[in-house]
Amino acid sequence: MPVLSQLPNGAATPPGAAVARVVNATKVHGGGDTAVRALDDVTVAFPAGRFTAIMGPSGSGKSTLLHCVAGLDTLTDGEAYVGEVALSTLTDTQLTLLRRERIGFVFQSFNLVPTLTVKENITLALDLAGARPDGDWLDSVIETVGLRDRLHHRPAELSGGQQQRVAVARALASRPQIVFADEPTGNLDSTSSGEILGFMRGAVDDLGQTVVMVTHDPFATAWTDAAVFLADGRVVDELEAPTADGVLARIQRLGG
Amino acid sequence: MQRIALNGLWAHKRRLAGTFVAVFLGVAFLSGTLMLGDTLQRNFDNLFADVNAGTSAVVRSSTKIDNDAGSIQRPPIPASLLQRVRDVPGVAAVAPSIQGTGTLIGSNGDAVGGNGPPRLAGNWIPDPQLNPYRIAQGRPPRADDEVVVNKGAAQDGNLHVGDTTTVQTPEPVRVKIVGIATFGSSAGLGPTTFTAFTTRGAQQHVLKRSDEISSISVRADTGISQADLVARLRPALGNGVEAVTGEQLTTDSVNDIDSTFLNGLRTVLIAFAAIAMLVGAFSIHNTFAIVAAQRMRESALLRAIGATRRQVLGAALTETLTVGAVASLAGLLGGIAIASALKAMFDAFGFALPAGGLVVNAGSAAIVVGVGIVVTLLAGLAPARAAARIAPLAALRDAGLEGEEGAQGRRRRGGLGSAAGSAAAAATAPRRRLRPFTALIGSTTALISAPLPRLRGAVGALARRNATRNPRRTARAASALVVGVLVVTAITVVGASLKSSLDNSAARGFHGDLAITAGQFNDASLPPALAQDVARAPQVATAVGLGGGSAKVGGENGKVKVADPRALSRLVDLDVRSGSLATLSSSQLAISTDEASDHNWRLGSTVPVVYPDGARADRSVGAVYGETGIAGDVLLPRSGWAPHAGQDADQTVFVALRAGVPVVAGRQAIERVAARWGGPDVQTRDEFIDAAGQGVEMVLSIVYVLLALAVLIALLGIANTLALATYERTRELGVLRAVGQTRSQLRAMVRWEAVVIALLGTLGGLVLGIPLGWVIVQISSSVGIDTFAVPVVQLLIVLVVGGLAGVLAGMRPARRAARLDVLRAIATE
Repeated sequence: MPVLSQLPNGAATPPGAAVARVVNATKVHGGGDTAVRALDDVTVAFPAGRFTAIMGPSGSGKSTLLHCVAGLDTLTDGEAYVGEVALSTLTDTQLTLLRRERIGFVFQSFNLVPTLTVKENITLALDLAGARPDGDWLDSVIETVGLRDRLHHRPAELSGGQQQRVAVARALASRPQIVFADEPTGNLDSTSSGEILGFMRGAVDDLGQTVVMVTHDPFATAWTDAAVFLADGRVVDELEAPTADGVLARIQRLGG
Repeated sequence: MQRIALNGLWAHKRRLAGTFVAVFLGVAFLSGTLMLGDTLQRNFDNLFADVNAGTSAVVRSSTKIDNDAGSIQRPPIPASLLQRVRDVPGVAAVAPSIQGTGTLIGSNGDAVGGNGPPRLAGNWIPDPQLNPYRIAQGRPPRADDEVVVNKGAAQDGNLHVGDTTTVQTPEPVRVKIVGIATFGSSAGLGPTTFTAFTTRGAQQHVLKRSDEISSISVRADTGISQADLVARLRPALGNGVEAVTGEQLTTDSVNDIDSTFLNGLRTVLIAFAAIAMLVGAFSIHNTFAIVAAQRMRESALLRAIGATRRQVLGAALTETLTVGAVASLAGLLGGIAIASALKAMFDAFGFALPAGGLVVNAGSAAIVVGVGIVVTLLAGLAPARAAARIAPLAALRDAGLEGEEGAQGRRRRGGLGSAAGSAAAAATAPRRRLRPFTALIGSTTALISAPLPRLRGAVGALARRNATRNPRRTARAASALVVGVLVVTAITVVGASLKSSLDNSAARGFHGDLAITAGQFNDASLPPALAQDVARAPQVATAVGLGGGSAKVGGENGKVKVADPRALSRLVDLDVRSGSLATLSSSQLAISTDEASDHNWRLGSTVPVVYPDGARADRSVGAVYGETGIAGDVLLPRSGWAPHAGQDADQTVFVALRAGVPVVAGRQAIERVAARWGGPDVQTRDEFIDAAGQGVEMVLSIVYVLLALAVLIALLGIANTLALATYERTRELGVLRAVGQTRSQLRAMVRWEAVVIALLGTLGGLVLGIPLGWVIVQISSSVGIDTFAVPVVQLLIVLVVGGLAGVLAGMRPARRAARLDVLRAIATE
C-alpha cells in the first residue's frame, strides 16, 4: 500500500505537530429541504502527544467530526488528514488498512467481539493485519490497563468498566498514531469512568500516545490537555488545560 | 427510530425470503412430480384411447403371461376364429391383429429406438377404424416383404419410401419400405417404433405361425353397444378365448402401464419430493427459531404492554401461515417448471416419455398446497410457542440479541418466578436433555474448524468462533444438509454395493473372453442365429446365446432365461449346487437356490410351466444353482423353449476364443460377424463385467439429480441462517470493520463459517448415511446385493462438494455483510 508507506511513523511525529486535522470540513446529511449541516467549515488540528476533548451539545457535530477524521465517514467538502495523508484520496480498503495500522478506536459500548478472549480482542487489529505484536509494548499496555489476570476471559465475563479497559488496550495495542474515543465513559459509573480516563491520560503521558475524545461530560474533559467546543457544526471555542468548572462555565456561556 | 424500522424491515424481508424459498422449492418439487405423474397418466390414457378408438371389441386368448417388468403377453389364437367371429350377427368388420417385436435397422446399420420404449412389429390393418395408424406417404404393404414404418422411426433411421432395409424379428428380414404412417397426427405412439407387414408377412416373420394370429379386432354394427357385442361374441368362441370391449381394453392397457411403469415412477418421484419437503422443514424450522430468538425482546414488550400469550402465539403463527400459504401457491406454479425440467431430464437420460401438454389436476393442486402449509406450520410451531413463552420482564432487561439460548433459558427460569416455575421447568427440561448432543455438535464443529486459524489467521479464527458460538443453532442450520447428505450417502453406498455385487457376480460367473449384448435397457433382441454364426468363426472356440422371456413357472408369472445349458456351462459358472447343467434335457429346467427355497422345490421336483404360446408342460428340476446375476432364477433349455416362443431371441452371446487367439483379434473378427446382424455391442470380459453394474450408475445419476434439489434447499437454509446471523451481529461486524477488517476479510469470515456449517452437515450425513446404507444392504441380500461396498472416493467427493457448497451458501450473506455501512453498524442497537 504505497499511500500508507508514505505515512510518517506515529512515534516519529514531533510533539506539537498535528497528527490529524480537518481543513474547511463540511458534512451535509440528506439533501434538499431536509439537508442538515452536521459540520460547517470546521478547521481543527489534533497535535501529537496530547489528549484533546471535543465537546458540544447533542447534534453539535462532535461525533461526525470524530468519524470523519478517523476515516469512518466521508466529508461533503473540505479535507481530513491523518499525518499528511488526505483521506478522500483513499479507497475503502486503503482506509481500512489505515484504520488498523494507524488509528485506535474506543466506542461508547459493545466495543468487543464477544467470541474472542480479552487477549484476542486486544490484538485483533494486529491479527487482522497478520502482524506480530510488539511484545514489550503489549506487555506495558496490558500492565497499564491492569488486565493481566483476565486475558483468557470472554467479554461477557467482564464488567462494563473492565470491557472498556479492554477496548482502550485494544486501541493502544497496535501503537497507533492516534486514538479516537467516542463517549468512552458514556455507559460507565463514575469510578469506572475515572479509571478509563486515567488510562488514556497515562497513555498520553507515559506512552507518548495521542488521544482525541468526544464527550459531553465536563468531568471527563477535565482529564484532557485541551478542549474544542462545537455548536451547530462550527468550532465556537477552544480551551487549554480545561477544568470541570471552567468547562461548565463555557458551556453555560454557550447556552448549552 | 426510522433506522431501526428500516433495519427491522430489512430483516423482515430477508427472513420472509429465506423461509419463502425453502417452502417454495419443496412445494414446487412436490407439485412438479405430481403434475408430471398426472400429465403422463393423461397422455397414456389418451394414447390408449386413440389406439382403441374404433375398436368395439377384441377377441384374444384368456391366458395371461406377464412379468413384473414388462407388458402383458398372451398366447396366439387360431386364425380360423376369424371367420367364426365375422359370422356373429352385429359384427360389422373384423381384422386379424398380430403383435410382436421387431428391431428396425436404420440406414447407417444401427438399430432404431430402444432404451425403454418397445420396438414393435405387427401387421397392417386395412380397416381405418380398427387401425390408429394412417398412411402419410406411400401405400400399405401388399407383398410379404413390404412394410410400413411409423414416421418417427423413419426419421430416426433416415429411412424413406422405396428404401430396402432389415427388420430383426429377431431373425433378420430384408424388407422394402412402401409406406410411412403417422399415429393419428403424431409421428408415432410416443417414442415406440412400429413396423407393419402384411398379415401373412407378420404371421411368417413375427408370429412364425401361419395358422395363428395374436388377436381379433372387431367393429360392431351401428346401434350395437360394446357390451352387447361382447355378449354376442362369447358363445362363438372356444375354450381359452375371451372377448372384451374396446373400453375394457383401454382400461387394461392403462392399468398395465400404471402397474409396470407409472406407479413406480410416481412413487419414486414423490419419495424424493418428500425428502425435499423434509429438508425444507428443517430449514424452515431453523429460520423461524432464529427469528423467534431475535424477536424475543419484541415479543416480551408485547407481553409487557398487555398482549396475552395466546395473542403473541397467534401473531407468530399468522406470519407462519401467511408465508406457508403464499409460498405454497407460488410453489404450485413453480411446479410447472419443475415438471417440464423433470421430463427434460428423463428425456436426456434416454427414458423417452410421451409428449403432451402439462396437466394440472385440482386434486393434486389441493394436496400440494395443503402439504406446503401444514409442513410450514409444523416447522414454525415450536419457535412460535417459544416466542409466546417469553416473560414480559425480558423486555426490560438488556438481553443481547445473539441467541445464546442456554443463557436465555436460565434467564427465563429466574424471571418467571414461582408462578410459572413449573412451565419453565417443563420448557427447559428437553433443553437439558439435549446438552450432550449440543456438546457433541460443539466439539465436532470445533474439530472441523480447527485448521482454520492456521489456514486463514485471524479471519479463520473469527470464523471458527462464530461457527462454534451457538452449537444449537449451528446444529439446526446443518441439520437440513445432514438429512440431504444422509440420503445421498445411503443411496451411494447401496448403489456401490449393488454395482459391486453385480460386477462380482458377472466376474465370478463369466469365464469367456468376449460378450455380445443387446443393450442394458432392451429386451432380448439378438437372433439366436447370431450365436451360431459367431461360433463358426475360426477364432472362436465356443459361443452360446442367453435369451429370455416371460413364462408361468409353478403357477407364477415371471422372467425366465433361456440357453443351451451344456454350452452355457462351458462359459459361465452358475455355481451349481446340485444336479448338472451339462446334462439338462429339454424336459428339465434349472432353478436358483432362492427359487428352490421359495417354492420348496429340490432336484427332481416337478414344476408346471406355461410357455408364451400357451402350451403347458411339466418339467423337472435338473439343476439348482447359486449364481443369479447372469441366469436369473429360472433357466430353461432352449430346446424346450424355442418351439413355444414365437420370437426366440438372445440378450447376450458369450464367446470363448480358441487358445492363442489374442482378444483384440478375436474381437475384430466377432465385430465383423455382428455387423451383419445390426451391429450389437461386442465387449471384452472386463467391459462386460463393468457393464453389469452400469445400469446402477445411470439410475444413481438420476437419483443424484433428484436429490440435488433437497441439497439445494439445505444450502439455502445455511445461507439464510448466516444472513440472519449477520443481521444479529451487525454491531460486532461494525466494530471489526472499524478496527481494520477489510471487506474481503469480512467476506472470507462469513464464507468460512458457511463452509464449517456445510462440512458439519455433510459429515453428519456421511456418518449417519453409511450405517443406513449398511442396514439397507443387509435387508436387500435377498434381491442380490451380497456385497457391502463403501465407495470411499465418491464419499470423499461428497465431502468436498459439501464444503464447496458451503462457499456457495456463504456467498450472498458474505456480500451483504461486506456492504454494511461501518458507522451505521456501530450505531445499531
